[in-house]
Amino acid sequence: MYPKLRARPAPADARRRAEHRSRWLWRVAGYVFFIGLWQFTSSFLVADFIVPPPAVILAEIWDIVATGQVWVHFGATLRTIAVGFAIAYVLGSAIGLLMGRSKWWEAFLSDWVMATLTTPGLIFALVTAMIFGLGATGPIVAVIVTSFSYVAVNVVEGVKAVPRDLTDMARAFGRNQVQILRHVYLPFLAPYFFTATRYGFSIAWKIATLAEVIVGTAGIGFMMRQKFQQFSIAGFLAWVLLFFAFALFLERVVLQRQMRHVLRWRPEVAG
Amino acid sequence: MRRVHDLLRHPRAARVLSWVGFVASWQLVVPLLPTELVPTPSEVAVFMWNELRMETVAPHTVYESFSLSFQRLGVGLFLAFAIGVPLGLLMGLRRRAEWFLHDFVVVGLAMPSLVWALVTGMWFGFGDLAPVMTVTLAAVTFVVINVAEGVRNVPKDLLDMSGAYGVSRYATIRHVIFPSLMPFFFAALRYGLANAWKGLVLAEVWASTEGAGWVIKFWYDAHRSQGIVGYALFFIIVAIFIERIVFGRLSGWVFRWRPSDSRQAPEPTVADPDKSAPAAVPGRQ
Repeated sequence: MYPKLRARPAPADARRRAEHRSRWLWRVAGYVFFIGLWQFTSSFLVADFIVPPPAVILAEIWDIVATGQVWVHFGATLRTIAVGFAIAYVLGSAIGLLMGRSKWWEAFLSDWVMATLTTPGLIFALVTAMIFGLGATGPIVAVIVTSFSYVAVNVVEGVKAVPRDLTDMARAFGRNQVQILRHVYLPFLAPYFFTATRYGFSIAWKIATLAEVIVGTAGIGFMMRQKFQQFSIAGFLAWVLLFFAFALFLERVVLQRQMRHVLRWRPEVAG
Repeated sequence: MRRVHDLLRHPRAARVLSWVGFVASWQLVVPLLPTELVPTPSEVAVFMWNELRMETVAPHTVYESFSLSFQRLGVGLFLAFAIGVPLGLLMGLRRRAEWFLHDFVVVGLAMPSLVWALVTGMWFGFGDLAPVMTVTLAAVTFVVINVAEGVRNVPKDLLDMSGAYGVSRYATIRHVIFPSLMPFFFAALRYGLANAWKGLVLAEVWASTEGAGWVIKFWYDAHRSQGIVGYALFFIIVAIFIERIVFGRLSGWVFRWRPSDSRQAPEPTVADPDKSAPAAVPGRQ
């Protein structure tokens, strides 16, 4: 439709491609440098068991994947997170809606939401560990208690950002409460829900592993503790790297796809 | 009757009600629970009072433990800034440095402080070094990313103008670059501190024999949950103190050149380098 706009001057294009190439070069150089540094440290500076060479860690990762341990423990942790986060999400959204729409409830609840935000996760992990003992219940409760407040805080912000005139107009045209919630509140809240998911999810990961380090009988955190107690740094780092790969995959690929899909009506996302 | 109703509808009444209701229901429900491991508020209050009067079963008083933890925090944060500021300046000024380092900084930002605590515990053993290194590692990437962002955000037109008016190099740094970097330093300090503090506590739990985190572990092993909850409250009080008094005063002083309604430290913009949706970032995690 706009042929003039499409035909870009060639030099700018070439320059951009050159920049792109140099960007990748420096990036790869960064990886090579750090891995080389690691290798150098482990072969010349300190003992192998303190900084294991990258090849040893890779072999360890391969071992974990090949023996199927990875599925057992990631499955356990994921289940904890899924159950805990689902409950936290419902609870947090309800509290957030309540707080966003009524000054009274905001005053009633805000101190407690803030208190759970400021309390170190370790406290919840230890208290739930003491109450529920070994097993999966403690971590689930710890996940709920720590991540619901992230959802609530974001939903409150979202509700407050809903333009007043739109809700007034919807009401003036006789829409009922459900329709207003679905067609006015929900589209405005969607980005906030996603922020809440991202923050809440990263917190849920951390608290779930932490709780598993203390009381888990399976899961990534449990394996980290085992490696810590066996003083196996290679094993520990292998689990950390796997943890990272998995968290990155979930966040970057799964969550961001979903986000782009749901927010496709927004010009800045679609464009 | 009407006045009571109006009074109850006031938000302040809601706040008071929620506190009273929470504490009362906690106190009343706990004896009904099948477990004896949940403390009542009065037990926690008695515990905290005893701790403050330095009557404790733990080997160190609350003052000693917290001051030791603060020393570790201070040394670790100093190291984090000493390493992070040059790297951040480099990343903000040179794009190649940014491409070189970016991915590793992001990994550092996302790394749970638990991992740092356990790794440094294995590397440095029991003692001061593991907690201090945890603090440094947990805070340094926040410093790097915020300083880099701050350098990129120095207003270009102000720099051009000071160049045109022949302002000296020192004066440019002091009066243009420095003030515009300040909000980002604050963001770095805030987020770095929050993350480092959590890491410090974890490192003390697993790789130390003293300090505030270790005392929590002590109460956990002693099966005294009022100790854990009491220490949690100490933590929250300290956190609120730092947030309100220290940061509030400091930002009021540092930003005294601003119009008086925006003297609070502005919300840090880059807690998350690739934020794509509007966010309500909670101050502490």
